[in-house]
Amino acid sequence: MYLNIDATKENTFDAIVVGTGISGGWAAKELTEKGLKTLVLERGRDVKHPDYPTATKDPWQLPFADRPTAEDLEKQGVQNRTGYTIRQSTKHWFVNDLENPYTEKEGKRFDWMRGYHVGGRSIMWGRQSYRWAPLDFEANVKDGIAIDWPVRYKEIEPWYDYVETFIGVSGQAEGLDYLPDSKFIQPMELNCVEKELKKSMKDKFGRVLTIGRVANLAGPLAHDKSPQRGTCQYRNQCSRGCPYGAYFSSNSATLPAAAATGNMTLRANSIVYEVIYDEQKGKATGVKVLDAETGEQVEYYAKVIFLCASTMGSTFILMNSKSNRFPNGLGNDSDQLGRNIMDHHLGVGASAEVDGFEDQYYYGRRANGIYIPRFRNLGKDKRDYLRGFGYQGGASRQGWGRLVAELSIGEQLKEAVTTPGKWSIGMGGFGEVLPDPTNRVTINPDKKDKYGLPTLLFDTEFKENDYKMRKDMANDAAEMLDAAGFKNVRSYDNPNQHGLGLGIHEMGTARMGKDPKTSVLNKNNQVHACKNVFVTDGSFMTSASCVNPSLTYMAFTARAVNFAVEELKKQNL
Amino acid sequence: MNRREVIKRTAILMGGVVSAPAIMGILKGCKATPGLEWTPEFFTADQAFVITEVAEIIIPKTDTPGAKEAGVPSFIEQMIYKAYKESDREKFMTALDEFITTSGFLKLNGEKQKAYVLEAHQKAIEEKPEQRPFIMMMKELTMLGFFTSKPGATEVLRYEAVPGYYNGCMPLSEVGKTWAT
Repeated sequence: MYLNIDATKENTFDAIVVGTGISGGWAAKELTEKGLKTLVLERGRDVKHPDYPTATKDPWQLPFADRPTAEDLEKQGVQNRTGYTIRQSTKHWFVNDLENPYTEKEGKRFDWMRGYHVGGRSIMWGRQSYRWAPLDFEANVKDGIAIDWPVRYKEIEPWYDYVETFIGVSGQAEGLDYLPDSKFIQPMELNCVEKELKKSMKDKFGRVLTIGRVANLAGPLAHDKSPQRGTCQYRNQCSRGCPYGAYFSSNSATLPAAAATGNMTLRANSIVYEVIYDEQKGKATGVKVLDAETGEQVEYYAKVIFLCASTMGSTFILMNSKSNRFPNGLGNDSDQLGRNIMDHHLGVGASAEVDGFEDQYYYGRRANGIYIPRFRNLGKDKRDYLRGFGYQGGASRQGWGRLVAELSIGEQLKEAVTTPGKWSIGMGGFGEVLPDPTNRVTINPDKKDKYGLPTLLFDTEFKENDYKMRKDMANDAAEMLDAAGFKNVRSYDNPNQHGLGLGIHEMGTARMGKDPKTSVLNKNNQVHACKNVFVTDGSFMTSASCVNPSLTYMAFTARAVNFAVEELKKQNL
Repeated sequence: MNRREVIKRTAILMGGVVSAPAIMGILKGCKATPGLEWTPEFFTADQAFVITEVAEIIIPKTDTPGAKEAGVPSFIEQMIYKAYKESDREKFMTALDEFITTSGFLKLNGEKQKAYVLEAHQKAIEEKPEQRPFIMMMKELTMLGFFTSKPGATEVLRYEAVPGYYNGCMPLSEVGKTWAT
């Protein structure tokens, strides 16, 4: 008995954080800085900054010219649905699909991109960082869609300030009420052709083009709490991991801050598969862990639990946590757990060739592009669909690849290749997907993963609103490129070449709301019916906006930790 | 001790800092086949010869290295045998063998080899046949291998591993050449 009590004591912490991605890293930092002894659990292997194996490799040091091999694609065929993630330089950041399977309802795709390692997808994320606008939080109630957000912009605004100051967001202030400015560090530059398009869009459409807002240090941070972070070297190899710590990741920023407090215990290879619910106490007491290396099962205990295991990861854990009180999964009184899967729909836009600017070029590889904020369904503009979309893209001069299909060969090819090709420009839309309860994920008990755990079954599809919006996304892009005088304008729309999930912005499966009957979480990311469990990854999202979501996850996570610690002090948890 | 063992041991002595691909690169340095500056692992001597010569015609040595010197032929072999899926490898090998037979390449002198390749290339570009001709497969692979090689990226094109800053509007004359990446 004595030994058991001892073991329990050893496995007991003030707080447990499940996951080390964008949200988990922030939860770990905030909890430990507030003095809580925190156990941080990561299902994948450990990755320590700056140990990124391919980060400084030159092109000739990567086999197969960085292309995936047939063997890679057998193991990571689903992860390669993006077309850009499985490279010799990046494939180690994505899961082996054979070991981590999931099921898609017949005829319906869901593209689930995952990285199981310390840092999660904060290592490979696109780093685009945009605040939500007041109108985003009001959209559901105004449109009569789903349920209202229990939070308004004013409540989250100081938390945006807080996280932006720590991570460093490079961008240009524009003063737009529909895309609020962040606490910016210096912006990156537009190139000549992008400046031309910016001018034309302003003159001819009254629309804004701005440089992408990106969590890369285009200039120094405004604080000295991250001495391991340097400024951007314009190598554009971010997704390999940055040895300069020039972009924000858990590994480069939040986890070192958490470690510095002395309050963090980080345990890698620890797959959390269940939250332990105590029927008598009416709250959670800990989590069950499967050690990915040894197969050993361990329990850890804490007063408060933060699920930050990614949208689908946390949703799986909740669904898999069944008790007498919660026969359908922890906190799932509303039957909303697993429903309302959203993403951003993409793969639609336009590109063009640009005459002129032949004597102009650029220096450095800018890990960023242009951003064209939403302009549809704003003010007096009314479309036959709800919500809107933004564009991301950029201009560049063509490289050697263009000559494959041209007549150049031999000495003449070697000569021709030294002059860059024409300028070209492109923009692709990111469209807001509406929450729909039929876009759903459930547990599939029949298919097990490598560890013998059940897996997920996705039943999702794009809906009429998405298809209507896509027409504008293609046409508006083409119209703006044409109006700028660019040539050979081509719009594209590949709705059948991807499913939900390919935006890698999956969210919404444990939404927050005012009413426990229609939502899983309250306004503080707290499970309505199990107050010491918080969920702060993308699963809490009640709608999707059209901007990249990670910055919003950070702000809500920091806010939720602050609330949780206040509640602990008041002995409410 | 043969050469392969020597290199393996050297790598261990150096604390394993030589990566596996780099060791392969060093091994490729041994000249085993007469007239060939690399040792094919999978191609026959005839196939390797044709791959090597066609690649060098596509990107010849000038005042900068050509395809041979940049290691393109062994790059192509690695792509075909270790990266391509089986059906693509079969397609390539069938096209290669057909090319060897149809062109009579092995019996042509250097001048005639070049003339044949140039003509096949021009025809392929102008006629754009539905089935991708061997010369186009070779051109794509040769260019990919060459412009991602050190001489291709740094001597023919311009490469900066760590640019350090970004200038979005700069006179081309100050950059000098097309960026490799």
